[in-house]
Amino acid sequence: MMIHKEDVLILFFRKKRTDHAIQIDSVTDLFKKLEKVPDFIHFEHKGKDFTCWISFIQTLVDVEYLHRDVFPYLYSDQTHNLTEVQDQIPTEKVIRTKDLSLIQSRLLDGYTIIQESEKKPDCLIIPSVKIKGREIEKSENETSVLGPREAFVESADLNINLIRKRIPIPQFMFEDMRIGKISKTRICVIYIDGIANKDNIQTVKQRIHDLEITSMIDSTMLALMISDNNNSIFPQFIDTERPDRVAGALYEGKIAVIVDGSPNALILPASIIEFFVAFDDYFLVWPIATAYRLLRLFAVAFSVISSSVYVAILTYHYQLIPDNLIPSLFTSRTTIPYAPLSEVLVLEIMIELLREAVARLPTKVGQTIGIVGGIVVGTASVQAGIVSNFLLIIIALSALSAFITPNYRMAATIRFIRFPFILSAQILGLLGISLCFLIFVNHLTRLTSLGRPYIEPIYPTRISDLKDAFIRLPLNFQNMRPLFLRPSDSKRFNNQRAHEKVGPKHSELDD
Amino acid sequence: MKVKMLILFALFPLLCGCIPTNTLDQTLMVEGEGFDYIGHGKVMGTVVMPSFIDTGTQGSQGTGIPATASMIRNLSGVTYDGKSLVDKFQSQGQEVMRVGSMKVMLFNKKMAEHGLSRQMSFRNRDPDVPSAISVAVVEGSTKKILTATDYQTQIPIARYIQHMIAQNSQQNYPTTNLRYFLDSYYGDYMDPFMPIILKNGDHLEIDGLALFRKAKYVMRIGENKMFLFKMLYEKFNQGVYDYQFSSGKHVAIRNVQASVKYHVVGGNSASPKIIALVNVKGYIRQASPKTINTKSTSAMERKIAESLSTNAEKMVCQFQKRGTDPLRLGDTVRSFTHHFDGKTWDERYPNADFHCRVQVKIVQTGISS
Repeated sequence: MMIHKEDVLILFFRKKRTDHAIQIDSVTDLFKKLEKVPDFIHFEHKGKDFTCWISFIQTLVDVEYLHRDVFPYLYSDQTHNLTEVQDQIPTEKVIRTKDLSLIQSRLLDGYTIIQESEKKPDCLIIPSVKIKGREIEKSENETSVLGPREAFVESADLNINLIRKRIPIPQFMFEDMRIGKISKTRICVIYIDGIANKDNIQTVKQRIHDLEITSMIDSTMLALMISDNNNSIFPQFIDTERPDRVAGALYEGKIAVIVDGSPNALILPASIIEFFVAFDDYFLVWPIATAYRLLRLFAVAFSVISSSVYVAILTYHYQLIPDNLIPSLFTSRTTIPYAPLSEVLVLEIMIELLREAVARLPTKVGQTIGIVGGIVVGTASVQAGIVSNFLLIIIALSALSAFITPNYRMAATIRFIRFPFILSAQILGLLGISLCFLIFVNHLTRLTSLGRPYIEPIYPTRISDLKDAFIRLPLNFQNMRPLFLRPSDSKRFNNQRAHEKVGPKHSELDD
Repeated sequence: MKVKMLILFALFPLLCGCIPTNTLDQTLMVEGEGFDYIGHGKVMGTVVMPSFIDTGTQGSQGTGIPATASMIRNLSGVTYDGKSLVDKFQSQGQEVMRVGSMKVMLFNKKMAEHGLSRQMSFRNRDPDVPSAISVAVVEGSTKKILTATDYQTQIPIARYIQHMIAQNSQQNYPTTNLRYFLDSYYGDYMDPFMPIILKNGDHLEIDGLALFRKAKYVMRIGENKMFLFKMLYEKFNQGVYDYQFSSGKHVAIRNVQASVKYHVVGGNSASPKIIALVNVKGYIRQASPKTINTKSTSAMERKIAESLSTNAEKMVCQFQKRGTDPLRLGDTVRSFTHHFDGKTWDERYPNADFHCRVQVKIVQTGISS
C-alpha cells in the first residue's frame, strides 16, 4: 500500500477534519442532529386553523410556563399564522428570525422555537428559560463583620441584578459577549459609561474577544487568560464574590467582568495595594481602617520574610541575635539534628500540607485535621527534636499572617514566594534575601494590569492615590477617583463642599 | 536574553558553599577577652564563652535552672602582644570560635601602662568584632575577674561587666566603648579613656576612669570627679553631684539637664584661652537637715556652681600637667581657630588657660518643701 509522505505528515501533525456531519446548514440539520438527544422535544401541533412545529429542550425550559402562557395562544382559534402568534403571546422579546446560528444558540439556552413547517427556516423564538440555581447566600470567602453579606451566585443574570440594584443609573452599561468555540459561554463586561476609561473598556473587550479557547468554566480562568503577564505569580485582577465590592469598583471607574456559571466577578484593572484592602475598611473610621491596613501590610512582610530571616541569621549572622535571645535560641537549637534550612523547610512543607488537606476535605473532617496538625504534629515534632520550638512560633505566625490577606489568590502568592526567599537566605544570608527581594521588586515594577502600572501609588508615585493606599484618609478627602485608572471623569465630588458640614449650625439649634 | 537570565539564576545556587557559614549552634561565641601583661612583650590572654545548659525540657519550665543560666567556659594562655586570642585558642575549641558577639575587652593596669597600640591596631582591622563592645582597665588581674566563679549573680561574666558599664554610663560615667576609644585614639588633639573596674570580694565595681596619652595609661581620676568630667565632656542627665559644703554636711543634686559650650580665644597663641560654659539644671536629691529651703536655693545654686567650676578647673589643670587630653580640648580649639597650628599644640596644651563658668539651676528641692 502506498503511503504518501504528505498523508503521514497529516496523520501526525494535522488531523484532518472529517466531521462534516457536525456541519449544520439548515434548521432541519439542526433538528436531525438533536434527535438523538433524549431531552429534545420536537413535535407538530395540529390545530383547526393553524399548524406549527414546536421544539425545545425540556431540561432547559420552564415547561409550566410554556403550558400556561404560550401554548394556549397557539391552540386558540384566533391564530392563523406566525405573525399572529407573535402579536398575541404576552411575552416580551419574541424574535422572528431565519438566522440559523441565533436559532441554535437560543434553542440551547432554553428558548422555544416555533415554526410553521418543519423545513421552513422562518422561526419564532420565545424566551422560556428555566432559572434554577442557588439562592443568594452569604459570602463565604470574603466575609466581613460589617456591611452587606450578599454574594454572587452562578447565574450571570442574577449577578447583574445584584450589581445593578446598587447602581440605579442609566449609565450602567454592560455588554454581552460569547466566548468559547464550543461552549459559547456568556461573558458580561460591565462598566459605568462616562466614568470608566474608554481605552480600558476597549482593551478588556478586545482581549476577551481575541481569546482562542473552546470553553470557559470560571471567571478566574478568564483572569488567567487575559492577564498582562501569564507567567507572573502575582494576580493582576481582583476576583471577588461580593457585589458591593464590584459596585464600589464600578463607581471608581473600574470594569467588572462576569462569566455565566461563575460566582466570582473580576475587577479590572487592579494595583497591588488593592489586594490587601478588605472592603470593610471603608466601613470603619479612618484611623482604625488605616491601622488595620498597616497591620495587614506588616503581616505580609512578616509572612514573607520571617522564616528566611531565621535561616539567614542562624546560618550566617549570629552577631545580630540579641543577647537575651541567644540562650533560649541556642538551647532550642542544640537538640535539632538538621541545619536551619532543612528545619524550616520541614515545617513550612508541613504547614502547606495541612492547609492543602484542610482545603480539600469536607468541613467537619477539616477541623479535626486542623487540630491534629496544629497541636499534635506541632508539639510532637518539637518534643521529638525535629524542629525547634522557636521556629514553630515563627512559622505558625507567618502562616497565620499569610491568611490575613483578604484575597485568596494573593495569599497563595505570598505563601509561595516564601520559598525562594528561604533558599536565597541559605545561599547568601541576608544579602541573599535582599537580592531575592530585588528580583521581585524588579518584576513588580515591570508588571502591568491592563497596561496600567501594577504597583502604581508607589512607582510611579501618585500622591493623590496614596490617600487610599497604605493609609485611608477620611471619605470626604477622597474627592478624586484613582489616577491609576485614568477615568473619563476624574473628580468624584466638589472638595470644598465635602468639607462643609451640612445641617443647621449649633447656634441655630440653640435658638 | 531571557535564556541568559535563566542560566544566570540557575547558576546562582552553585554559589552555595562559597561563603563560610556560622550556624548558631556550631559556633563558640567568645563574649569577653582579657589581657594581662607579663613583661617582655608577652601577655596572658583569657577568653570566656558561655556554654549553654540544655535543661532537658524545652524552655524554662521543668528544672529549676533558668533558661539564661549558662556555664562559663574559659581558656587562657601566654602569647605575644597583639596576637588574636581566638586564633591562639582555636585548637582547644570543639567548634569554630567567633568573636562576632563579643561584649567586653579587659586590660590590666600593667597592660595599659605598657600600651594598647598593638591591641587597637589588631581590633581596628578585624571587621568581625562589633565596635560597641565595652573596654575597661582592670585593677588587678583580668584573668581572675573573668574566671572567678564566686560572683553573687548568675549572669555570664561578660554581660555582667557590660551591663555594669552601660548602666553607669547613663549616670555619672561618660559614654565609653571601643568605638569611642578608637575615635579618640586615632583622632588628632585628643586622648582616649576607659573606665576602671575591680573585683571587690564577690562582686565587681566600677571605680573611676583610666586616662591615656595616646595608647598609654597615664593617670586615673576617681569616682568623685566623674560628674565634673562628664559635665565637661558631653550633654547628659541623671548624674548625681554630691556637694560637701562644710564638714559632715552634704547636698546632692541630680541633674535633669547639663550641657556644655566652649569658647576659645587666641587658639594659635602660646596660651590659648578656653572657656567652658556649663549649664546644670537639677533637683535636690538629698540634703542635710535644714540646709536648704525655698529661700536659700539661689544661694545654694551659687555655692554648687562655684564648687563645680573650681573643681573642674583643678581637674583640667591635672590633665594638662600629665599631657593628656581626654576632654578633647585640643580638638575644640582646632574647631574655633582659623589655620590652627597643630604641630605646636602638644607644647602649648599644658599652658592653655582653662576657665569654667557654671550656672546651676535648682528646679525642685523635694516634696517636703
